Amino acid sequence: MLARLPDLPETIRSMWPYRPNFARVNGWRMHYVDEGAGDPLVLLHGNPTWGFLYRDFVKPLTAAGRRVIIPDMIGFGLSEKPTREDAHSLDGHIANLTALLRQLDLRRITLVCHDWGGPTGLGFALTNRERMHALVLMSTWAWPLPPAEFHTRMFPWRMMHAPLLGPYLLGRHNALAARGIYLSVVDREKFRERAQAAYTAVLPDPATRLLTWTWPRWIPLDDHARAFARFRWIEHELRSCALPTLMVWGREDDVFDPDTFCRKFTTLLPHAEGPHWVTGRHFLQEDSGPEIAALIVEFLQRHARDEP
Amino acid sequence: MSRVEVSKQAELFGKRRALVLVEDRIGHYPEFRDFFGRTFDFGRRGLAEPGYVSAPSGLTYALVFIGRSGEPFPDGVEIHALIPELEPLDDELVDRDLWAILCWMIEGVGGDWKVADLLATGRLLRIPAASA
Repeated sequence: MLARLPDLPETIRSMWPYRPNFARVNGWRMHYVDEGAGDPLVLLHGNPTWGFLYRDFVKPLTAAGRRVIIPDMIGFGLSEKPTREDAHSLDGHIANLTALLRQLDLRRITLVCHDWGGPTGLGFALTNRERMHALVLMSTWAWPLPPAEFHTRMFPWRMMHAPLLGPYLLGRHNALAARGIYLSVVDREKFRERAQAAYTAVLPDPATRLLTWTWPRWIPLDDHARAFARFRWIEHELRSCALPTLMVWGREDDVFDPDTFCRKFTTLLPHAEGPHWVTGRHFLQEDSGPEIAALIVEFLQRHARDEP
Repeated sequence: MSRVEVSKQAELFGKRRALVLVEDRIGHYPEFRDFFGRTFDFGRRGLAEPGYVSAPSGLTYALVFIGRSGEPFPDGVEIHALIPELEPLDDELVDRDLWAILCWMIEGVGGDWKVADLLATGRLLRIPAASA
């Protein structure tokens, strides 16, 4: 059940001219973009987006002498989309990413983590430290509790993914891609005109949208949650992580509110730079892509100068 | 409000079951599993037959409950519309019926789960049936 590049609207394809690559990872077929040469940057998206979220990053990062790799998480974008909920777990997605990055034998990796790209990417980074160079964190989290206040609310969050409601609202009606992203950007009209179709087109049928309501169910809300132990491990390991880290956050982020989440990351990673504030809600790449890419280039150049 | 009622029996002659909604994890919030257990008396009826509900359109829907080893029953549920065997689905009608069934479900689950929150969520997400 694959969406294909030729199925995308022409306006979208013109913004995503990159050659598709596919790898067999952990039993699934994963799509990724691989552009440029140099130390690799791996850009990780979350729910319900795909590599297209980083379309404004590719040119400035490759122009700065970096290799840019953008995988589509299994279940999203142009990657294979399993049709059973049990196909998805946080550990499984970490293993998917690990398989890809080991196949490509990447070293000196800078991971750029957004939303579920955070726990997934950090799960890789903390078990493959010898391959890592730096981290960039944006509107994400890395601990079991407390959750974002947004994720505890009945309206709209828990209603959206509750039993039968998830398959109806996010499955039949594709509400997260068709409406959720729109509500979580600042310039909604620009997003509607230029980008929205890219997110809905790759999730054409209810069965392709499974992960849009499965990922919300993996966010721990109490200590009985399925991913509680993994998140506790990530939090514990992160405290000993000395990787250079950049935090970039949207001023208007009302999903992972900056006061709570940046403060917590600063506690776990006291050496982290930032947060650098940009215009943006949860999907800050939509409002401030080029600005964030410039921050990343500057951050990496600064650290390259400091290296012995 | 939801005009959904449990039916003890369904007329199956000349009908086919059309799958319209699937849930793999009904116990994600355990109160949902409890609601279906209370409503369809699993303790007595077990897997002998589906649960049937009539919806506002007059169509009957079969709720087929799914078990999985190692998990409390039921683990999942399929909702099937019972429609004339050679006729296609009226997708918009089914969508409105499903919305009514979901409202009925939330009403039955109760506690922190309020129909008002579901309606607000449906309107926020521009679900056509929520605005009807």
